[in-house]
Amino acid sequence: MTRLFLSAIIAFSAMACSQPTEREVVNVYSARHYDSDEVVYARFTEATGIEVDLIEASGDLLIQRVQSDGDRSPADVIITVDASRLQRAEEAGLFAQTDFSSFASGVSDRFIDPDGYWLGFTLRTRVIAYAEDRVDPAEITSYMDLADARWQGRICIRSSDNAYNQSLLASIIAHHGEETAEAWARSVVANFARPPQGGDTDQLRAIAAGECDVAVVNHYYYVRLANSSNQEDLDVADGIGLIFPAGEHGTHVNISGAGIAANAPNRENAEALIGFLLSEAGQSAYVELANEFPAIDGTQFDNPTVRSLMGFQADTLNVSTLGDNAEAARRVFDRAGWP
Amino acid sequence: MTAHKSGPAIFGSLAALVAAGPILAVAWVAISAPWGDYLIHLMHTRLTGYVLNTIIVTSTAMLLAGIIGTATGWMIARLDFAGRGIFAWALALPLAVPAYVAAYGWLDLTQSAGPLQTPLREAGLPALAHLLPVIRGPFGAGFVFAITLYPYVYLIARQAFAEQHPDMQNAARTLGASRWRTLTGVTLPLVRPALAAGLALVAMESIADFGAVSHLGAPTLTVGVVRAWAGAGSVPDAARLAVVLAFFAYLAFALERQSRARARFGQTSGGYRQLQRLRLSSWQSGVAAIFCGIPILLGLAIPLGRLLYLALTEPTARGVMDGLTNSLGLASITAILAAVLGLGAAYAIRSGTPLGVLSARLASLGYAAPGAVAAVGALVLFAALQTVMDGIWGGRFPVLLSATAGALVFAYLSRFAAVAIAPCEAALTQVTHRLDEAAKTLGAPSRRILTEIHWPLILGGVGIAALMVFVEVMKELPATMILRPFNTDTLAVIAHNYAADERLGQAALPSLIIVLATIPAMILAARSLTRGADR
Repeated sequence: MTRLFLSAIIAFSAMACSQPTEREVVNVYSARHYDSDEVVYARFTEATGIEVDLIEASGDLLIQRVQSDGDRSPADVIITVDASRLQRAEEAGLFAQTDFSSFASGVSDRFIDPDGYWLGFTLRTRVIAYAEDRVDPAEITSYMDLADARWQGRICIRSSDNAYNQSLLASIIAHHGEETAEAWARSVVANFARPPQGGDTDQLRAIAAGECDVAVVNHYYYVRLANSSNQEDLDVADGIGLIFPAGEHGTHVNISGAGIAANAPNRENAEALIGFLLSEAGQSAYVELANEFPAIDGTQFDNPTVRSLMGFQADTLNVSTLGDNAEAARRVFDRAGWP
Repeated sequence: MTAHKSGPAIFGSLAALVAAGPILAVAWVAISAPWGDYLIHLMHTRLTGYVLNTIIVTSTAMLLAGIIGTATGWMIARLDFAGRGIFAWALALPLAVPAYVAAYGWLDLTQSAGPLQTPLREAGLPALAHLLPVIRGPFGAGFVFAITLYPYVYLIARQAFAEQHPDMQNAARTLGASRWRTLTGVTLPLVRPALAAGLALVAMESIADFGAVSHLGAPTLTVGVVRAWAGAGSVPDAARLAVVLAFFAYLAFALERQSRARARFGQTSGGYRQLQRLRLSSWQSGVAAIFCGIPILLGLAIPLGRLLYLALTEPTARGVMDGLTNSLGLASITAILAAVLGLGAAYAIRSGTPLGVLSARLASLGYAAPGAVAAVGALVLFAALQTVMDGIWGGRFPVLLSATAGALVFAYLSRFAAVAIAPCEAALTQVTHRLDEAAKTLGAPSRRILTEIHWPLILGGVGIAALMVFVEVMKELPATMILRPFNTDTLAVIAHNYAADERLGQAALPSLIIVLATIPAMILAARSLTRGADR
């Protein structure tokens, strides 16, 4: 009797959200939410006939949802925008081990999880922006230089809640150990021009307003201003240069990455999608619309500003170390009094 | 006081208990999971700062919102001036502006690189530019919450002022009390339950917010909760902090209720008498209009105007029409269900049964927990329910509960139960037990008491509950993000995605449409108020 009743409800709700069963789909849970993604998914559907069903939410929420749905989760592909989140998803057992070698031939090894659970498909660097009229770029060759007392009252940077700051510090911990990293964080805090506030773009604008001389930002926020059609934005970008630190451990690179869900109902489609993200059609959209760097060397794209920034000395550590040190990074920030 | 059991009270107790499910699930996670050392680390490092910020943000928001909401509520209910009809609903509009949107707008406007300071600096007046206040830090966040949340106080207080019996004030005036003494000695104490209800909502939402405080550099305990959560496997630590947060919020309002109970005011009749509004002269009218215009300017026109200005040079937002349809559908359904829930819970509280009071209070608790944690509570609950369904089904139950739109509506209901209960409870306190007793003495059956005495008196309050939940759902983020069916964007999600990507201009349009979409509901609520007062 109960079963009959429940069946009726199921039949009803199935009718309510009727989906033709013939449809080829891939279910994507993504922490990205950019216009570029829409373009890539549309191109994918056009090329393969596979439709993309999408849920976008912050990485932590996505992990929680897939975890709590367990083996019933409809997720096929899980995408996040920070390597340490991918690591968390991996530790939560959300990913299936995948042999990425067949479709990731152009991706550098350091952007692929050594255990084979996920890989990066776009690159974002955290770089040092400076006021061209007040700073000689030769003064900074490494993130460690920001601890120098000469920068007192001259640095703008976001709060330590920001995942990209956490990953930057995680890389410093990986290279120098926690103690040095904490001393560095304390010195940078002492050099703040103002208490952390706003986003990366706000830090760039603060340089233009003369409130600070250097700022730590993701490169694509600068590119967006430089490529803008708004004169105010162009004026901001005009007076700012970017330093891609080449000294010590090079420039900090983070990824947008994807993995195939452990219980993916459409595994083949999931593989097809990840393959497509790494294709020329996918990669060029990310560079042209989101100003990220391509994960595949030699990708053809039309974005001169991004092109002009390429050729930097990237950190050689595997990005999976960012996740290994993320918790330590948050605690170092807490101890260093970095709001 | 006689504890009388009635249909609404029993239904209300049970409904409230169900709505309390997610916050109870959070509490269960907090208690049952193994303990790490994160909380100790927190105590050694940032806990004091978080607590201090929470106190400053919340008390600033409550103080300012209390002043704005009470003053405007009283003016609309008691004064007659040019533009009153428009202000009556327009004053509620800032509630539809998500606090983080207002925060983005205000910081962008007032920061050193903003359009206020830049011209001054370029004119060679850097000292003057430096003097301008920047909306940031705990006081800035308190300000942003006050100007976007004061409508809670305004709406509930307006209703209370409108339904107050004029004889009380007349009596005071006849006895020679000045206008001021009448206001502070008679009028305000009578609306105290309403003020407390509105302020409680302001406080709880300020406590639970993440977006605005983190953008403005005023990290409150909620930021600590979210950070704990980002740590490996730290959901339990986040749950623990959230439970502590909700507990303190609850304690504060329990104390307030206690002190109010000792000084119990009851009205012998409700809004049946025509309330005489004081007609203002033309210059007084002008002053009143300016006064009522300021909060709308601060909470709505200035921050959204700034974003719209930025929108002029940015491409338009995608998917806005679909978002509008989804937002309106979800918000309407939830608002209707919430009004029923709020009314039932208010009766449960009024009945005085321990189960009724406890479940209604528990259901209200969820509002003070950070939205993301409340959403996780709903997920935990659904996972448990799925197991139960498997048991009943005798195998794998073919529907994934968390993937249904019903799950989302339930999560909304449980999160905003407090918003639904508060105005209903405030309205129901206007109906004293003495009124029931009088009707019973006259031999009226309880059904008649409900439909002919209670219903006309509380209709306004129930309407406001529905309106406020409607607006809340229009703005809601974390539960929507994580429990929505595939390919379902709401306006709030679209606005947030652009804002989080630092494309403020593109966030403007969906934010503006959220506000516009709530106008019909606001007008409707204002109308029902006027009708109530004219009866």
